[in-house]
Amino acid sequence: MRGAAALHSEQFRHEALLYSGWAEFVTGTVPFIREGLRASEPVLVVESLEKIQLLKDALGQEAGAVVFADMAMVGANPARIIPAWQEFVSFHPGRRLRGIGEPIWKGRSPDELIECQRHESLLNTAFGQGRPWSLLCPYDTDNLGSSVIEEARRSHEFVNEGGTVERSNVYRGFEASGAPFDVPLPEPGTGVLRLPFAKDDLVKLRGLISRQARTAGLAATRTAELVTAVNEVATNSIRHGGGAGSLRVWQEQSVLICEIADTGRFDQPLVDRLCPAADLSAPRGLWLANQLCDLVQIRTLAGGTVVRLHMRLQPREPRLHVLPNGPDQGSTDDN
Amino acid sequence: MRFLFKSSQVLDPHSLLSQNEGCIHLSAHVNRKGGFGIDEPFDAALGGDRVYGDKRLIVTRTLRPHGLRFAGEIDATNSDAVGECLLKTVTLQDQDLHLDVSALIFCDISGIRSFVEAAEVRKGGRLMLHGLPELLQTVMRVTGWAALPKLVICGCGGPKP
Repeated sequence: MRGAAALHSEQFRHEALLYSGWAEFVTGTVPFIREGLRASEPVLVVESLEKIQLLKDALGQEAGAVVFADMAMVGANPARIIPAWQEFVSFHPGRRLRGIGEPIWKGRSPDELIECQRHESLLNTAFGQGRPWSLLCPYDTDNLGSSVIEEARRSHEFVNEGGTVERSNVYRGFEASGAPFDVPLPEPGTGVLRLPFAKDDLVKLRGLISRQARTAGLAATRTAELVTAVNEVATNSIRHGGGAGSLRVWQEQSVLICEIADTGRFDQPLVDRLCPAADLSAPRGLWLANQLCDLVQIRTLAGGTVVRLHMRLQPREPRLHVLPNGPDQGSTDDN
Repeated sequence: MRFLFKSSQVLDPHSLLSQNEGCIHLSAHVNRKGGFGIDEPFDAALGGDRVYGDKRLIVTRTLRPHGLRFAGEIDATNSDAVGECLLKTVTLQDQDLHLDVSALIFCDISGIRSFVEAAEVRKGGRLMLHGLPELLQTVMRVTGWAALPKLVICGCGGPKP
């Protein structure tokens, strides 16, 4: 049962579904999908492979009309999720659409989690003044902390809880969703290499990253990708961030992290996740960094901009989300 | 959709390579008795004139095929000079312009932008990139520059040493 908030508004509708267990997941998502199918709306579901199978079983033949995608692949770097939704919207001009996307699950690292939360807010910025379509974001209350659920209430205008949909009274709103992101980044531990740089130091910067990556055991291809990405971010510092910057490189467990800091002001919240425009002058550096690196963290702080690029030493294979109960427990049928 | 519907195409770097149409290497291979062979570097016998050089990049002119050869690194320090090379030294706008980039060991977005700009201003002929390293193919794909009508990424692998 849906609450008073009308689903068919003339705006983008961003709704969090707070569920506990497989049965609540199914009863919260399947009617949403079926409503869309009956209204001939294209439906895209970006979920774990386990939940995709669960939904296919529940939908039966109707599943054939739904497009499914693996969130572990699409959202490995959370900054790549908005471009996927952008393409979905662009692929169906003039039509109402529905989507389900669950970017946050228990196994996300702390760094990934906070970038997922930033992603959830930026969805409002990306689509809040565009076409009307509905995006439902399931949150697994059994396995996510209370602070994660509270943040979901702030990043979603609507919250579906226990079958009732209500407008969130702590939703931060459209303007604040795209405000500069200034959540502090944790300071690295020991073993940090530093290099102040200007234009003529780019070759030295590339050499330092390449050597550190090789020492850490990063594969040659991923090393070249990391070097390319960091060079672009450093070039942004040179061109737009005061003409110079500083590089820090360190390793945290199995992740190599490169940080570029400069005195520039980062004021385009979507510039790293909007597919570049065709014209030659369109910015591409941060977009490219998000395509090449496992995670990119951008912060606008009092002293300037900080960009951290993460590269896992061993690329993570797409993996399944972990739920407490197997799909054989609980109802998979909403009838 | 780039990430969902066309993922297999996007993930395959070879998918953006041309079918060697118009490739000087392939045509030379087919007709090697009549001209220079596929195993020969760009106009090796002629000796290319240097049109640009700095500590990290050398650009030489090639006459057969008509074009330039880049060896070294392109970044913010020299990409403007690369753009000027491309726009000023190559004047035969109605012919295909062949760039041997097989010895390019680094090229940032500003360098690729120079290639794209040179392709877009051509009046008749295309700009053909030979031997583009795989990473740069990836960069061109994700930055939206892999499918331009006047820019061909040739799958020939470039001239053999």
